[in-house]
Amino acid sequence: MPADRTTRPWALLVTLALTALLTACGGPDDSGGGGRVTLRYTWWGNPDRAARTERAVALFEKRHPGVEVQTSFAGYDAYKQKLATQAAGGDAPDVMQLDYRMIDQYATGGVLLDLREQSAVLRTDDIDPGLLATGEVDGALAGLVQARGTETFVYDAAQWKATGVAPPRAGWTWQEWADTMRELTRKSGKPGATDPGQSEDCFEVWLRGLGKSLYREGGGLGFTVDDLTRWWTFTDGLRREGVVSTARQTTQLDGTVENTALGRGTAIGDFNWDAPASGYLGIVGDGLTLAPMPSGEDGRPGQYFKPSMFVGAAANTAHPREAAQLIDFLINDPEAAGVLGASRGIPVNESIRADLVPKLEGFDRTVADYQDSVDGSLEAPPQAPPSGDSALQTTFSRDYDQVSFERMSPREAAENYVTEAKAELR
Amino acid sequence: MTTTDIPAATARRTPPPAAGKGAGRRREGAAWVFLSPWVLGASVLTLLPMAVSLYLSFTDYDMFNPPRWVGLRNYTQMFTEDPRYWRSVGTTLLYVVLAVPLQLAVALAVALALKSVRRAKGFYRSAFYAPSLLGASMSIALVWRAIFNDGGTVDNLLGTGGWVTQPGWALLAVALLTVWQFGAPMVIFLAGLQQIPAELYEAAAVDGASRARQFVSITLPMLSPVLFFNLVLQTIQAFQVFTPAFAVSAGKGGPADSTLFYTLYLYDRGFVASHMGYASAMAWVLLIAIGAVTAVLFRTSRAWVFYAGEETR
Repeated sequence: MPADRTTRPWALLVTLALTALLTACGGPDDSGGGGRVTLRYTWWGNPDRAARTERAVALFEKRHPGVEVQTSFAGYDAYKQKLATQAAGGDAPDVMQLDYRMIDQYATGGVLLDLREQSAVLRTDDIDPGLLATGEVDGALAGLVQARGTETFVYDAAQWKATGVAPPRAGWTWQEWADTMRELTRKSGKPGATDPGQSEDCFEVWLRGLGKSLYREGGGLGFTVDDLTRWWTFTDGLRREGVVSTARQTTQLDGTVENTALGRGTAIGDFNWDAPASGYLGIVGDGLTLAPMPSGEDGRPGQYFKPSMFVGAAANTAHPREAAQLIDFLINDPEAAGVLGASRGIPVNESIRADLVPKLEGFDRTVADYQDSVDGSLEAPPQAPPSGDSALQTTFSRDYDQVSFERMSPREAAENYVTEAKAELR
Repeated sequence: MTTTDIPAATARRTPPPAAGKGAGRRREGAAWVFLSPWVLGASVLTLLPMAVSLYLSFTDYDMFNPPRWVGLRNYTQMFTEDPRYWRSVGTTLLYVVLAVPLQLAVALAVALALKSVRRAKGFYRSAFYAPSLLGASMSIALVWRAIFNDGGTVDNLLGTGGWVTQPGWALLAVALLTVWQFGAPMVIFLAGLQQIPAELYEAAAVDGASRARQFVSITLPMLSPVLFFNLVLQTIQAFQVFTPAFAVSAGKGGPADSTLFYTLYLYDRGFVASHMGYASAMAWVLLIAIGAVTAVLFRTSRAWVFYAGEETR
C-alpha cells in the first residue's frame, strides 16, 4: 500500500488523460467505422405526418443499405426552440425541415449547406423556378421548398350543420365571418372559433386584405400601432361577446392541433394552414372542412400561397452527399411521394404533382381541392420575412394575452408590440 | 504496480525530518494534482464561460453571426425599452417574497413536529425529504401542470378552474411546487433544533413558561443562525428558479406573463429569440442583483441573528 502513495498522483493524471481521450472518441462523430452512415433528420408536424415520413424514410433506407436515418419530430414551437439551440451549438441535424421564417436567419448564419453543391444527386429541374428561388439566400440554395400552403378556416361541418347556419361562402369578409361566428355561438352555445387575435398569421391576412403588409420592402414594420389596435379591438370585442375562444383557452395554444379550441372540442372552427389541418382528422372526424380565409371589406383576399416548408442540410454535416440523396428522395421519388401524399402540402415536383393529385384521397384530396378553389384569385406572396420575425411571432401572441386577460387595452398592447418589434428588427 | 516503482517509493517514504523546500514543493504539487478536477472544472466550466458571457453582454451576439460590439446598448434597452423585462422583474420579486417565507415556515413547522417523533424517525424524515429529491425534476413539474390545469385535480376538487390558465393563480401554483420541496431547509432546521441544549427548555418549564413562550424565547433565537442560513440559501435559489416555471407554464411564462420569471425571460431572449448578447447582459444584472440582496440580508442579520456564546462577550 505505501508504495501507492507517490504513484497515485501519476495514476490519477493518466486516468484523467485517458478519460479525456475516451470522451473525445465518443463524440458526435459516430460514423467512424465500417462505411455505415448515420443521418439525423428532424421535422415538425402532427403524428399523421410523422407516421408517413417514417414510412418514406424506411423506403429510403432500403434503397440505400449503407445509410441509417435517425428521425425525430415535435410540435412547431418546441421544434423551433430545439433547432435554434442545436444550430447555435454547431450540432444542427444533417437534414432538417425549415420554415420560411427560418431560412434567412439560418442561411446568413452559415448553418445551411448550399444544396447546389450536391446537384449531382439532388435534382431540381422539376420544380417551378420561381418557387425554387424562394429557398435562395444570397445566391445559395439554402433550402429546398417542399410544398406550398395557404391558410384556411377549418371547421367541423357536422357541428356546423346542426346549428342550421349557412356554410361559409367563398370571398366572405371579416365582417361576415364575425357575424357568422355570432350566429354559430347563439345556436350552438359554444364559440365559433379560436380567437385569431393571438395569431400573427391571421393578422397578416387581415392586413393584406386592407392592402397593407406585415413588413415593408427592405425590412421594418409595414403597419402602425393604429392598425394593430384596430385588429385587437376587433378580436377582443368578439372574445368579450363569447364568440371566439376564451383567454384561458387561447393562452394554451402551442402550435399543436391538440391544444387548439377546435382540437379540445370547445369551438367549432379554427384558423390554420391547410396541410397541417390533417391533424384535426383524428379528433374531429370526417366532418373536417376547409374554407377560405375571410377577405377585406372590399373583397380583397389576404391569404396567399406561401412556400410552406423547406428542407435543408447542415453546412457542417459529415455526409453532405447522403443528406442530399435523402432530400432528393423525399422530393423527387414517386414511391416516396405516394407515401407522403399531401402531408406537407401538395408536392412541388411537377411531374409528381401531375401524377399524384388525381390519385389523392381522403384529406389529401380535400387539401388539393381547397388549393384549386383559391388558386388564381390570390395576390403574390410577400418577400421572405426578416430574421427577427420568428421571435416576433411569439411576442405577438404573448402581447395579445395581455389584451385577452384584460390587463392592457388593445392600444397599450399594440404600442408594446411595436416597441418590441422595432428593437427586434434593428 | 510494477516492481520498479517500489524501491523509489520506499526511498521517499522516509524523508528526512527537515527535507527543506524540495519536499514541500513536491507535496504542493501533489495537492494541485488532487485539486485539478476542481480547478479545471471551475475555470473551464464556470470562470471562462462567465468571462465570455460578460464580453457577450456588450455585443449583439445572435448565436449564428460573429458578435459585434454594441457597448452598453443591451443594458440601456433592458432598462428603458423593454416592458416585458420589468414585468419579469416584478413577477420574480413577487415570487421570492411569496415562496421563500412560506417554504421556510413549512420547513420549520415540519422540523418541529419531527423533532418530537420517537418512532420510525428515519421513515418520516425520508418521507418528508422525498419531494425535494423529486421536485426538481421535469416530470413532477409536468404532473403539477396537469394537477392545476383546466379539468385537473384542483379544478375538480375546488371548482376554481385550472390555476395555470389564470394569470391571478398561476404564480401561486408554481410557488406551491417550491414550498412542497421544503426538505433541504427542514433537515437543516432539524439539525439546528437538536443543537439547542435541553437544559434551556427544562429551566424554562420549571419557570412555568408555556410552549409558545419557549418557542419565541428559546427556539427562535437559538435557531436564528440556521434560519439565516436557510433564508439566504433559499432566496438565492428562488431568484434563479427555472424548471418549475418553465414546465408549469409550458415554456411560455404565461398566462399573460404571470409566470414569466427572470430566468425564463432570459431563456426566451437567448434561446428562443437568439439574442445571446441581451441574455448575457440580463444574466449579469441578475448576478449583481442577487449579490446586492444577499449583502442586504447579511447587513440586517446583525440585528436579529443570535450566535450562542455572544452574550458572554
